Amino acid sequence: MAGKALVITSGKGGVGKTTTVANIGTALAMMDHRVCLIDADIGLRNLDVVMGLENRIVYDIVDVVEDNCRLEQALIRDKRHKNLFLLPAAQTRDKTAVQPEQMKTLVNELKEDMDYVIIDSPAGIEQGFKNAIAGADFALIVTTPEVSAVRDADRIIGLLEAEGIKDPEVIINRINPEMVSRGDMMSIEDIIEILAVKLKGIVPEDQIIVVSSNRGEPVVLKDNPKAGTAFKNIARRISGQEVNFISLEDKSFFTKLKKIFSFS
Amino acid sequence: MKSPITFKVAKDGIVLSLDPEANFKRIKDALRDHVESATNFYAGADLYINIAESSFKIDQLNEIVNIARGYKDVKNIIFTSDVINRETTDTLEISNEGETYLINRTLRSGQKIKKAGNVVIIGDINPGAEVVAGGDIVVFGKIRGVVHAGAGGSDKASVTALKLDPTQLRISKKIARPPEENSKNKKLQPERAFIQEGNIMVEKFEI
Repeated sequence: MAGKALVITSGKGGVGKTTTVANIGTALAMMDHRVCLIDADIGLRNLDVVMGLENRIVYDIVDVVEDNCRLEQALIRDKRHKNLFLLPAAQTRDKTAVQPEQMKTLVNELKEDMDYVIIDSPAGIEQGFKNAIAGADFALIVTTPEVSAVRDADRIIGLLEAEGIKDPEVIINRINPEMVSRGDMMSIEDIIEILAVKLKGIVPEDQIIVVSSNRGEPVVLKDNPKAGTAFKNIARRISGQEVNFISLEDKSFFTKLKKIFSFS
Repeated sequence: MKSPITFKVAKDGIVLSLDPEANFKRIKDALRDHVESATNFYAGADLYINIAESSFKIDQLNEIVNIARGYKDVKNIIFTSDVINRETTDTLEISNEGETYLINRTLRSGQKIKKAGNVVIIGDINPGAEVVAGGDIVVFGKIRGVVHAGAGGSDKASVTALKLDPTQLRISKKIARPPEENSKNKKLQPERAFIQEGNIMVEKFEI
C-alpha cells in the first residue's frame, strides 16, 4: 500500500519547520513506520545538520532529478533508525533546479516504498514552496504565537487551498504558558480563531531544542518532558491515534483549552 | 587488482589510458562503471583515449567510443597514440598536470568550485561549501566543507590544509568522513590526505 506524503510549511521563516520535520520523522520511525524526509529547501539546506547526517551526503535531490544518480543512491539512512531516510537538498544550487512536476514524480516514487514521506518546505511562497507542496497529500503548518507568524500562516493556508491541498492542520510552536497566562502572548484560542483550521499539536518553548539541533540529535530521542513529548504526540496523531493535548503548566489554561476543543 | 583504465588531467581535457595487458571485457566494464560514477564531471572537456601500446579492432574501438559517449556533455572524443609518461611526485609539490587555479577568498556555504586542474585556496572552506578538483587541493586555511580531489579518478591526488576538519573528504572514488566526536581542537595543525593501499590516509604535514 502506498504511503502518505505530508508537507510541513509555514510561510514565515524561523518558526521551527525543520526541527518539526526532524522530530516528527524520528518519532514516526521510532513507532516502526518507514519514513523518508525530503529537504526541499534547495540552496539553504538544514535538515541534514539537524539530523546529524551532513557528513554522509554524496548525492542530493538535484542529482536525482538530473539523473546523475538513482534515487536509492541519494537516500541517506539515519544512523539511529534503519527505517528512517533523508533525501537531502543541494546546497550549491537554487530553487529553480527542481520543477513541481519532477517533485511530484519523486514523491510518488518514494510513497511506493514508505509509510510516510515528510517534506520540509522552505520559507516563503515562491518556487521553493510550490515545489515542496507539489507532491503532498496533506499539509501541516507551523506557527509561533506571534502576529506576524500567524498572518503568514493564514496566507499559506489560502495558497494551499488554491492548490487543492484541503484541510491543512496547524502546529503551534514555542508557546510559553507563563506569558500566555499573563496575557503577554497570543493564546492558542486566539490563533485558532484567526486561522480556523484544526489544531494538530502544541509545542512548548524549550531550550533543549537549541542544544539538540546543534548536536544533530532530535529531541524525541531522549525522554524529554516538554518539547519531546509534544512532538511524539503529534507523530501519534499523524498515525491515527487519539492523543490528548499536553497539559501546559497552568491548570486554568488547560481547562480553557479543553473547553474549546472538546476531546472525545 | 589494478584498474585496466587510468585517467590523467591534460591541459584542455582528460586522457584515458587503457591497459594493453587487460582483456577487452574488463576494460569495457571498468569504463562503464566510471562513466556511471563520473556524472557530469567531464562537462565541457575533451576526452582523449590513448590507444598507444594497445591493439584494438575497429569494432572494439567503436564499442569504447559508444561507452565513452555516456560521459555527460563531453566536448570531443579523440583517439591519441602519444605515450604519456606516468612519473609522479611524492612531495607536496603540485604536479604539473593541468592548470592550477588560485582562489583568494573564503568559500562560504553554497559556493562551489569545480576545476579540472589543481585548486589552491587562500582562505577557508566553510561548512556547506564544496571544492571539486581533477588534481590536488591545497588550502591555506581551514577545510570544514566538502572537498573532492582527483575527481576524474586519479588516486594520486591529495588534499592539504592548515587544518583538516572537513564535513567529508573525497579522493578519486574514496570517501572519508571524520569521526563523530566533535573536535574542539582549535589549534592549526597542517595535514595532508592521500590514498594509500586503497584507503584515505591523513598525516601531519611538517613545515
